[in-house]
Amino acid sequence: MGKKLLLAKADVPGIRHYEVYRREGGYRSVEKALRMQPADIVEEVKKSGLRGRGGAGFPTGMKWSFLAKPEGVARYLVCNADESEPGTFKDRYLMEFIPHLLIEGMIVSSFALGSNVSYIYIRGEYDWITDILEDAIAEARSNGWLGKNILGTGFDCEMYVQRGAGAYICGEETALLESLEGKRGNPRIKPPFPAVKGLWGCPTVVNNVETLAAVVPIINEGGEEYAKIGIGKSTGTKLISACGNINKPGIYEIDMTISVEEFIYSDEYCGGIPNGKRLKACIPGGSSVPILPANLLLTTAKGEKRLMNYESLSDGGFATGSMMGSGGFIVLDEDQCVVRHTYTLARFYRHESCGQCSPCREGTGWMEKILLSIEQGKGKMSDIDLLWDIQRKIEGNTICPLGDAAAWPVAAAIRHFRDEFEWHVNNPEKCLTENFGLRHYADPVHVPVTA
Amino acid sequence: MSDEINIPKPAGIKVTIDNITIEVAPGTSILNAARQIGGDVTPPAMCYYSKLEGSGGKCRTCLVEVAAGSTADPRPMPKLVASCRTGVMDGMIVKNITSDKVKDARNGVVEFLLLNHPLDCPICDQAGECHLQDLGYEHGKEGTRYQFARRTFKKEDIGPYIQLHMTRCILCYRCTYVADQLTEKRVHGIVDRGDHAAISTYISKAIDNDFSGNMIDVCPVGALTDKTFRFKNRVWFTKPLDAHRNCTTPGCCGKATLWLRGEEVFRVTARKDEWGEVQSYEGKPGWICNTCRFEKKATADWTVDGLTTISRHSVIGANKYRTLDMPKETVSAVMNGIAPKLLMDIHNISEVNNPNIQLSDIDRPATGADFADSAQHVAGKGESSQWHSGPNTDKG
Repeated sequence: MGKKLLLAKADVPGIRHYEVYRREGGYRSVEKALRMQPADIVEEVKKSGLRGRGGAGFPTGMKWSFLAKPEGVARYLVCNADESEPGTFKDRYLMEFIPHLLIEGMIVSSFALGSNVSYIYIRGEYDWITDILEDAIAEARSNGWLGKNILGTGFDCEMYVQRGAGAYICGEETALLESLEGKRGNPRIKPPFPAVKGLWGCPTVVNNVETLAAVVPIINEGGEEYAKIGIGKSTGTKLISACGNINKPGIYEIDMTISVEEFIYSDEYCGGIPNGKRLKACIPGGSSVPILPANLLLTTAKGEKRLMNYESLSDGGFATGSMMGSGGFIVLDEDQCVVRHTYTLARFYRHESCGQCSPCREGTGWMEKILLSIEQGKGKMSDIDLLWDIQRKIEGNTICPLGDAAAWPVAAAIRHFRDEFEWHVNNPEKCLTENFGLRHYADPVHVPVTA
Repeated sequence: MSDEINIPKPAGIKVTIDNITIEVAPGTSILNAARQIGGDVTPPAMCYYSKLEGSGGKCRTCLVEVAAGSTADPRPMPKLVASCRTGVMDGMIVKNITSDKVKDARNGVVEFLLLNHPLDCPICDQAGECHLQDLGYEHGKEGTRYQFARRTFKKEDIGPYIQLHMTRCILCYRCTYVADQLTEKRVHGIVDRGDHAAISTYISKAIDNDFSGNMIDVCPVGALTDKTFRFKNRVWFTKPLDAHRNCTTPGCCGKATLWLRGEEVFRVTARKDEWGEVQSYEGKPGWICNTCRFEKKATADWTVDGLTTISRHSVIGANKYRTLDMPKETVSAVMNGIAPKLLMDIHNISEVNNPNIQLSDIDRPATGADFADSAQHVAGKGESSQWHSGPNTDKG
């Protein structure tokens, strides 16, 4: 049983409300932090080794230390709750059931960063969670945790929830800031980065919900204690939202020392694959990270057991590895069609591209059309190479990472499942009624022996 | 920090683009530094417009490789960068046409831009002065790898002066910046997103303000064209003249280019510089008002300053010489003063091109008899017809 920091009290009845949350030890970190120097809190977060939980995994303490602090200019903390990546629903759980944990983390972080007005930008579809958060903010304010002169320390902090209008692109931090300012949610061209010029042109830090919630145990237990959990640079605990062909889909808090195999098959977590089916493939970190076949998922190309952490999941680079991403763990069993699956993702990215820069606007739609024609048995063999060339020309050439996010799933599907694509082209009739199946995708990986 | 204050600031920043080193002012973008060098090393720009604040970064045609960030930090940049929105650093080494990565990426961008473009240049008023045509000519490939129907949009009327062709739009956002920065209130914008994003007025239907016409000038493609010039002429048949008038509209510079054919002014535009942008006067962009652009279409309205200098590489530049030297007639010299003898003037004999006779109405092969009547008819009044001029007649 791994250590739980965020979800330890998730099952306590009434934890959503202030009285129970406070009774269970809530807001202790605010009491502690407000007596510390802001720079010491940043130092504590640095020591914890906490990495951004939104997908990129950038060290949070380092991000905070980049924040420009010019005299007389307001600074802002913005919480990115625009969780829209297919397969990722961990923030939803946190905000819906333990809203005060996020608010507590945000008060501490606002104090550390010197933000007197902080925002939670939440995806439009989470409208009921907006109400939950606003109720929780009102409770926090009436109990003196928000407003003027918090705990008599002279620190003022206000917090607002802003709903998005249903665009995946607004999860990109600069698009989020544009949207928060009331503009069209187009990503900004960087530099300048938000740490220098963010919301209303002021220095801004944008952090994921889970990242800000993790600040609470870091302050309570100390950064060094937090860093003891996990392996290497994957410290602390991570929420994984598991879905797909598993017996127990849901949110799991893991301490990043368990193996992928254990995560899928143990009863504590996903509980194996239903109906006795075999594992075919998995997207370990949300729809935009590369898909891996069963064999490369469970063991790395070096033949080691793959673990559920940042380093191990990305072991082997994109050639044989994937990414931790946002923790959206999608499992595909032997009955799933990778071509159809890739098409579904391509359709999503085409629909969610903001249309600002040409490679993403035009390329995503092109890839979707080609994938659909292969899926419908109308594809040509040259289409597979064409797909590869299109994704190659999108990746790295766009304003924001959505272009990469659209390119990577297609690239990985062709890289690892090319024979399934070819089978679709060669069997235009058959592919409409049956699936390629598991084939060799779970066979042991050949590990070259090196001297 | 105190150390930095003591060191005198360098007068300029040295940047090397495609092995050419140039010194530019701090804060210059890579693209503008390359424009100071000029020629082939200047990356193409479809969305960047130096006179419009905030423009650029979107089309990705100006991507370049930064092989060394600066003298202080000579690491290369991991990705290609948009040269229009990346500032130069001292000692920066940039590769544009010398980089295979850049060429490859740019070919990709051009392919993406042309993917859903209707390629209706033969009926497009922008043809001949279209940046996408130039870009396709320089970087595009023959043929397309796109096997699907091209994107179409519902037609929208945005007023009496500007014609919107959304199918041609590359979403450079320049027209929205013009509306933001030249007018009080922008009434059009980009609606929807992704590949179905479109320019639209959304609620109010017509774009109506004194400076809306400048949207036409900044549009790099044929998405926004002049309705008063629509289908009237090809730009390469018209002759550009620089002219000015004392315009009373505040903010209008009154300096324009008139596009004439014969004595008729077909079109009025702002004056453009070598990058296709509106020229600046006294540090201010020379935008013109709609009165100058759409209402003053007679040479009498203007004081003509002279012929517009047009790049000789431009299709518009063809046959636009400052003085016209006609070649000398050599026939009489060769023939010792004897005029060549006309053996047969086909136009005096044949009337097959007489439009009054419908060949399709004759249900058999036509014979000379079918034209007999008309031959007399035409010959009777046709002495002044140009077809009767002999080949040695000077057409003047």
